[in-house]
Amino acid sequence: MDKNISSKQILNDMISRHYEEALEAKKSGELVAWATSIVPQELLETMDIKVVYPENHAAVLGARKDAPAFLKDAENNGYSTDLCSYARVNIGYMNLKESVAGNIPMPDFIFCCNNICNSVIKWYENLAREMRIPMILIDTPFNHTFNVPEHSIKYIRGQFDHAIGQLEQITGKKFDHDRFKEVMKISAETAKWWKKATALAAAQPSPFNGFDLFNYMAIIVCMRGKQEGLDLFKLWAEELQGKIDRGEGPWKDQKEKYRIMWDGIACWPHLADTSKILKKNGINMVTSTYPDSWTIVYDSDDLDAMARAYSSNYANRNLVYGTGNIVQIVKDFSLDGIIYHSNRSCKLMDFRQYEVQRQVQEQTGVASVIFDGDQTDPGAFSLAQYETRIQALMEMMEQRKKERLSRQ
Amino acid sequence: MFLGIDIGSSSSKAVIINTQLKILGKAVVNTGAGTQGPEKAVEAALREAGLSREEIKFSVVTGYGRITYDKADKQITEITCHARGAAYMMPGARTVIDIGGQDAKVIRLDKNGKVENFVMNEKCAAGTGRFLEVMARILDCGIENLSTLSDNANEEIIISNTCTVFAESEVISQLAAGAKRENVAKGAHKAVAKRVAGLGSRIGLTPDVVMTGGVALNKGVVAALEKEIGQKITVVENPQIIGAIGAALYALEISSKLQ
Amino acid sequence: MNRIKEIISALEQTANHPAKAVKASMQETGKKAVGCFPYYTPDEIIYAAGMLPVGLWGGQTDIKLADKYLQSFCCSIMRINVEQGMKGMYDFLSAVVIPTYCDTLKCICDNWQVAVPQTYLIPMVYPQHRKIAAGMIYLIDEYKRVQKEFETIAGKKITEKDLEDSIALYEDYRKTMQYFTALVSKYPITLNAKTRHLIIKAAYFMDKGLYTAKVKELMKELKKLPEEKLDGIKVVVTGILAETDALLDAFVQNQMVFVADDLAQESRQFRTCARSTGTALERLAYRIADHDGCSLLYDEEKKHGQLLIDLVRENHADGVVVCMMKFCNPEEFDYPIYKKELEAAGIPMLYLEIEQKMDSAEQIRTRIQSFAEMIK
Repeated sequence: MDKNISSKQILNDMISRHYEEALEAKKSGELVAWATSIVPQELLETMDIKVVYPENHAAVLGARKDAPAFLKDAENNGYSTDLCSYARVNIGYMNLKESVAGNIPMPDFIFCCNNICNSVIKWYENLAREMRIPMILIDTPFNHTFNVPEHSIKYIRGQFDHAIGQLEQITGKKFDHDRFKEVMKISAETAKWWKKATALAAAQPSPFNGFDLFNYMAIIVCMRGKQEGLDLFKLWAEELQGKIDRGEGPWKDQKEKYRIMWDGIACWPHLADTSKILKKNGINMVTSTYPDSWTIVYDSDDLDAMARAYSSNYANRNLVYGTGNIVQIVKDFSLDGIIYHSNRSCKLMDFRQYEVQRQVQEQTGVASVIFDGDQTDPGAFSLAQYETRIQALMEMMEQRKKERLSRQ
Repeated sequence: MFLGIDIGSSSSKAVIINTQLKILGKAVVNTGAGTQGPEKAVEAALREAGLSREEIKFSVVTGYGRITYDKADKQITEITCHARGAAYMMPGARTVIDIGGQDAKVIRLDKNGKVENFVMNEKCAAGTGRFLEVMARILDCGIENLSTLSDNANEEIIISNTCTVFAESEVISQLAAGAKRENVAKGAHKAVAKRVAGLGSRIGLTPDVVMTGGVALNKGVVAALEKEIGQKITVVENPQIIGAIGAALYALEISSKLQ
Repeated sequence: MNRIKEIISALEQTANHPAKAVKASMQETGKKAVGCFPYYTPDEIIYAAGMLPVGLWGGQTDIKLADKYLQSFCCSIMRINVEQGMKGMYDFLSAVVIPTYCDTLKCICDNWQVAVPQTYLIPMVYPQHRKIAAGMIYLIDEYKRVQKEFETIAGKKITEKDLEDSIALYEDYRKTMQYFTALVSKYPITLNAKTRHLIIKAAYFMDKGLYTAKVKELMKELKKLPEEKLDGIKVVVTGILAETDALLDAFVQNQMVFVADDLAQESRQFRTCARSTGTALERLAYRIADHDGCSLLYDEEKKHGQLLIDLVRENHADGVVVCMMKFCNPEEFDYPIYKKELEAAGIPMLYLEIEQKMDSAEQIRTRIQSFAEMIK
């Protein structure tokens, strides 16, 4: 890799190519699939299938302010505004097929894994029905126990086998188990480097601004099983280490004064506003629960381990795990505060947020606020409310800082 | 003679017609269910028609207050009556949009004024007169002046919040940042139009599209709604008494069937 | 007719006063009670353990305490269940089973252990991939796991015969209810929308064996009478549930007869029968696999719409009433798909957004009445 090109540039290039190649593939008659964001992509990569991720695409549409047209289309067709806005944007896009923010090819089949939520099952059911295409489902039972139980792993393994059968039928090709092993190796390695890179934010000051994290996240979603993805995160980790060695913080023109975790996904249509207010106050989002969720690591010989790994992300774990996870993050990343995004689209995260906030508060004493927003629907966010809440958080963090200093 | 009474939450209307479908008397009183409003409206309509109560052969009551009103022969919902009344006033009407103070309805009708389908919003303030009241209060202009204010807008301001409560703070922030009141007024009209257009698209908007209800008197909203749905909207004359007209027509129809 | 009135009145009382009815049933039978959250739970196993499965479908309690855990855009059944749990209204239950069919239920599971620690929680995760062998194996493993829990609570081992007897009883209940719902079109005045609902709902708060006997007796008595003629409107109602009084009264006032339903609280519980072969747990598992057309169970073919069209045709219904439970994501996702199909089939639809606590009966009434006026 050319040392003069930054990982950021490569990242942007990779994303553009990712979409271009998918469109090209579709044009030349190759199979294209849509998949959920933490899907066992190893199965698709092994079959050399071009995959596009509607959640990534919806985020892009949201960030480039083109979501409303698709939301409106979905609403006109009877989709309630109570439903996840990623789903509504994507279903609207399925109808309108054209966005100034960027296009994706229509899929020949879809691959759904509900480790991120059960709404994706319903969303993908509708896609399968409307487009009359096959749907592959990997159902990862919700872990109400701390660990993933054995019979769940057995069930997921069984579904891997079934999925392979479906893929063979759809592609007309045999599943290459040797290639599969290779892909598993690369995927686990990529996830390790993702974890390494994102963990570097523990340095004080953190070498990157967390909103950047959301950008790199696109690659861990769509290129986890590719050598390129692996190389990118290696490079990024190197760059970050370099910055740490030079004592460089997240911004050129602002010091990192407070370190926070952002719980949930970004408010894509209001990215500029939400990040500006944080930067103005020197508040750096150093991490979130997402790095761990994509740290899908397992031995390439162990399908059980892969099954377990795909059921182990934050959203599929119980409250005890979730709270413990955040408490650990507070410690590892030396957090001053937490911003909880009560995302109107995401009931799975929202409906335990209050209790998570209380328990983390109790166990760490760290300041936090909850604000109302949405991932892609611009209408479900109030800048005034956000500003007020961040200010309140600032005041709490300032107060605690003063108390800490006076105790020393 | 046949009497139609429309008892809303904040106003009462009465209309009297004869067998030739001619309107002999009509009245609008600004108090609604639970007040003397309905009676006053009936009395005023009778006076205009030069009739006494005994000369009314059959009466139908509609609107929010229809259930508790016991002086009519039958009660029919405002959806059915609005459709009928709109078809009478505008024979080509196939879609009726009614934005009231508290709710919004879109009704699809056939050529005889019979309802084919309908959709309503009564829970959410956005897309109803209430939203405009909130905006008028913030802009410090009477609700009746909102339209004239928006006439002088020179820029499009988008109020993106779908929740009236959030929209309120969004607008206050914009005004504080220097936005012109005229532009905000226009933005408010567009916001209402968007919500109602969305409501309507759930059943499809077939021309001719006709508008009734209190908010129909706001030219700014009508213009914004025309733009949103991409069709011409005709505001019915005397939009407030459409429901009472429909009720009176049903009074006539039911009465003749009984014979 | 007196005996009919007596039975109906008793069942209505049961449905309207669940806690009282369950406690009375516990006394009468000497059994412990286990609460069962919506939507599908292993009632047969609970019953085989010698305990009473009790349906927890919300209620009319005002929300105050549950706000500590749940934002306002959570469906009212779940919010109210949490509220009632927190208020101690479920303290007399030996345990509560919460199956995680939707994202909200997953969170309720999480919160329950903190919010209602006094009521022992048995979470369950039914497989979405229920039509493949791996899914059935998994479900049977889940059944075995919870069976152990029930045995511990009941203090007795459940034998294969206990399970088979329980399944036989529950299948009898299901068949009986299928006959009952079909009988409504013949007795639309006695079995009006409200009465029909209360009779069906009473099943959640009584010993199933005793309940089924009551319904059988009711049907026997009814069939002695001549069929009732009503110049009404026949509808198929779909949704999670169609409650409460304000809603049902409006249907009755407008002479709308529920000739069939696709409600999670009603027919979805009993329209699918168990297979006759296999071990007891296999039969329970396969019944779930065979159950289709429910928004809570994975179906990439979206058979929900066709199910509704078939119900309309088979029962000569005039239209479909959609009782959309506010904030119910699975139902909200199914709606646009079946809406298109019903429109293409020329079937009129009334869309009602409902919550457990509806502050304005007037709005619901107007919509229902307008629909009736439209169809007539």
